[in-house]
Amino acid sequence: MSKVQQTHYEPVDATPVKSFFVHMLTRDIRLEDAILDLLDNCVDGILRTKEHNASASTKKPYEGFWAEIEFKNDSFTISDNCGGIPWSLHDYAFRMGPRSDRPEGASGSIGVYGIGMKRAIFKMGKRCLISTQNSKDAYDVEIDPDWTNDESKWKIPVTPAMKRQPYDGTTVYISDLDPGVAKRFGEDAQAFQRDLETMVATQYVSIIEKGFRVKVNDELIKPRPIHLVFDKKASKGHGTIRPYIFKAQSDGVRIFLAVGFTRPIPSQDEVLQEQQETKYSTLDAGWTILCNDRAVVYCDRTELTGWGEAGVPRYHTQFIAISGIVEFQSDDPAKLPTTTTKRGVDASSQLYLQIKNKMRDGMGIFTSYTNKWKLRPEESKKQIEKGERLSFGELKAEVRHLPLKATKTSVPPGEQFRPNLPLPAKIVPSMRRISFTKRIYDVRKVSEYLFEDPEVDPSTVGEKCFDITFAEAAK
Amino acid sequence: MKQPAYHLRANKAVDRLTLIDAIKRISALAANIGEYTYYGFGGPYLEDFRLMYEFYPEIRMISIEDRDEVYKRQQFHAPCRSSQLRLKKIEFKAFLDQYDGSGEKTIFWLDYLDLKYARFEEFMELLPKVSNGSIIKITLRCETGDYLGKDENGREKDVEFQNQFSYVLPHPTAKPAATFEGMAILLQDMIRIAAQKSLSSAMPSKFLPISSFRYADGAGMFSLTGMVCAREDVRKVKHAFGDWHFRNLNWGTPRVIDVPTLSTKERLHLQRRLPCERHAGRVLRRALGYLIEDDTKRTEGKLRQYADFHRYSPYFMKAIP
Repeated sequence: MSKVQQTHYEPVDATPVKSFFVHMLTRDIRLEDAILDLLDNCVDGILRTKEHNASASTKKPYEGFWAEIEFKNDSFTISDNCGGIPWSLHDYAFRMGPRSDRPEGASGSIGVYGIGMKRAIFKMGKRCLISTQNSKDAYDVEIDPDWTNDESKWKIPVTPAMKRQPYDGTTVYISDLDPGVAKRFGEDAQAFQRDLETMVATQYVSIIEKGFRVKVNDELIKPRPIHLVFDKKASKGHGTIRPYIFKAQSDGVRIFLAVGFTRPIPSQDEVLQEQQETKYSTLDAGWTILCNDRAVVYCDRTELTGWGEAGVPRYHTQFIAISGIVEFQSDDPAKLPTTTTKRGVDASSQLYLQIKNKMRDGMGIFTSYTNKWKLRPEESKKQIEKGERLSFGELKAEVRHLPLKATKTSVPPGEQFRPNLPLPAKIVPSMRRISFTKRIYDVRKVSEYLFEDPEVDPSTVGEKCFDITFAEAAK
Repeated sequence: MKQPAYHLRANKAVDRLTLIDAIKRISALAANIGEYTYYGFGGPYLEDFRLMYEFYPEIRMISIEDRDEVYKRQQFHAPCRSSQLRLKKIEFKAFLDQYDGSGEKTIFWLDYLDLKYARFEEFMELLPKVSNGSIIKITLRCETGDYLGKDENGREKDVEFQNQFSYVLPHPTAKPAATFEGMAILLQDMIRIAAQKSLSSAMPSKFLPISSFRYADGAGMFSLTGMVCAREDVRKVKHAFGDWHFRNLNWGTPRVIDVPTLSTKERLHLQRRLPCERHAGRVLRRALGYLIEDDTKRTEGKLRQYADFHRYSPYFMKAIP
């Protein structure tokens, strides 16, 4: 009888495999998001600077800081003047993942996981040179393909910088691009630039408005801010168009919420036209969520932000005039309700679920106004056009003059302003709305016949037909 | 402003003939023109179909039209037997939903009269459906005046433009250009982005521009012709069109078509000086001996246009039936 060989059990090797970081983690993120992670690092750099801390309470705390992104079919570069990486942070900045004893993050930063920069680099290429200067520290960190392939090599060489820059900042230069990335930077360059610019313009809307300058391939990005209508002259007894406001503090997180109208409510014709011809006037509608100034959700119109839930109707073109912004700010980024990619809201966060109640509460005021006035859009338009369109910053300044009331039952407790929107007078029973549908070709023909112009608004054409017939009938 | 009748637009006629010229180059790619099918929105007179039949009788043709009365007029104006030309009464979007071009080489002319985002959607939907070697021409309205001031709902028209076309605008806050040339460049950039989104670098095929023009017979128009080809054949296609006078193979500035109105007698007189490689404007002005525009510069500009496009300029003559 043969002896059974006894296996000798030894401690197993749980050393991390480098290819996991280089090839696997990079699959979890889109190329555009990886680039935005690098831009997040620029902003975190600003937050560590003395200049920013001195101007933190001003309207333009990011003024004077810039980041420039350049991509070509063989390389990617991002450079900034955002303060650089102090040598004291090198173990956090270049380590794969966060150390438990890492230095405190700068107040207002968004990075928690310590993986953004490395993941972005490996997403794009095999070779990278990081040159950074922070006060007296000026050094270069170089990652080459040999380092990436060698499982035993975990130290990355650092050398003193060849020359000093006139400003403190960082340049990340990536080459030996992944073939797929090289194609997007080359053959799809225009479409990729368009997508990246749109993401920067929307996700950094608040930071750019506060003075940060971002260029992509030499093109200065202009933000796409959201404006809400605010009628400064309150009219007693008739109601005034103003946004709903809610302010609160919870476990170190400051919350500011505003929802209102960005424009007049649409007429029935416009709603129909929007649905049939996809005119995309709806682009600014929905909720934007800012976490420490980064927009992690932009103009969302789904259940994620309360549409179609708990008494709020589902989003419909009828509601293209409604837009809302929620701002979460905290010195501890781990308390913000963002996902690990920093490009979305953590829908299961307790804080977010509590605030979502207030989002629905505020949104309900404006959906019901829209429903009440939808048959009388012209009158509603006059009310909305009386107000000014205020940016988020202007709105926050204006709110200081509003009579905010403490909320009694809401969680978290806070203060709110519920606008008193105009109510329609009882519809005069002698008036009836007439609405019908005809073929576009025929409407154009009648329009040409009546106005010598085929492009006249269909409702005007229909009204004219009625007026002519009525004049004849009344003879 | 009302445009001249469709078949009497001189600059449009030139644009049409440049397409005919471009098709000739297909043979340089070792392709058989007889394998192609032409799809177009021929309008009531089927002018492009008439030309196509005249130059390339071997090409099968399919007209797409959804308006009843126009369709009836097309039946009346059909330039050839129905075996070679099929008139389809269908909306283009519905046609696209059913279309599968994998088994045929095609020439599509998306000859739109307006500018709407839906046009870019149709263009993007079409590109991946056609076979390599297919030619796509897209024509769009290109009028800067359309985006001045406010619309009937009181909203700034340029902001509406941004909202409507945001998916294909080169920059998120790009505004409609203030000049005809700028607007044509913007539309070309938008078509380029649409093409890159539709046939991204992950796909084996690519949309390559061949020529682009802007012209106005009343309203301004922009027209771009390109070919869908395998990525490895890009150099071959560029070579086939490399010596074509009207080529625009690298998304350069669109060429202007602005042919002068000359009498038949003037044209015959200038004929003996053409083609004219150098200083064409001056040479032809001197040949005429008078100005046809307000000043020398404009006259020479118009005559340069004539030198460029004289082979494509239509003759419009009065005829008593």
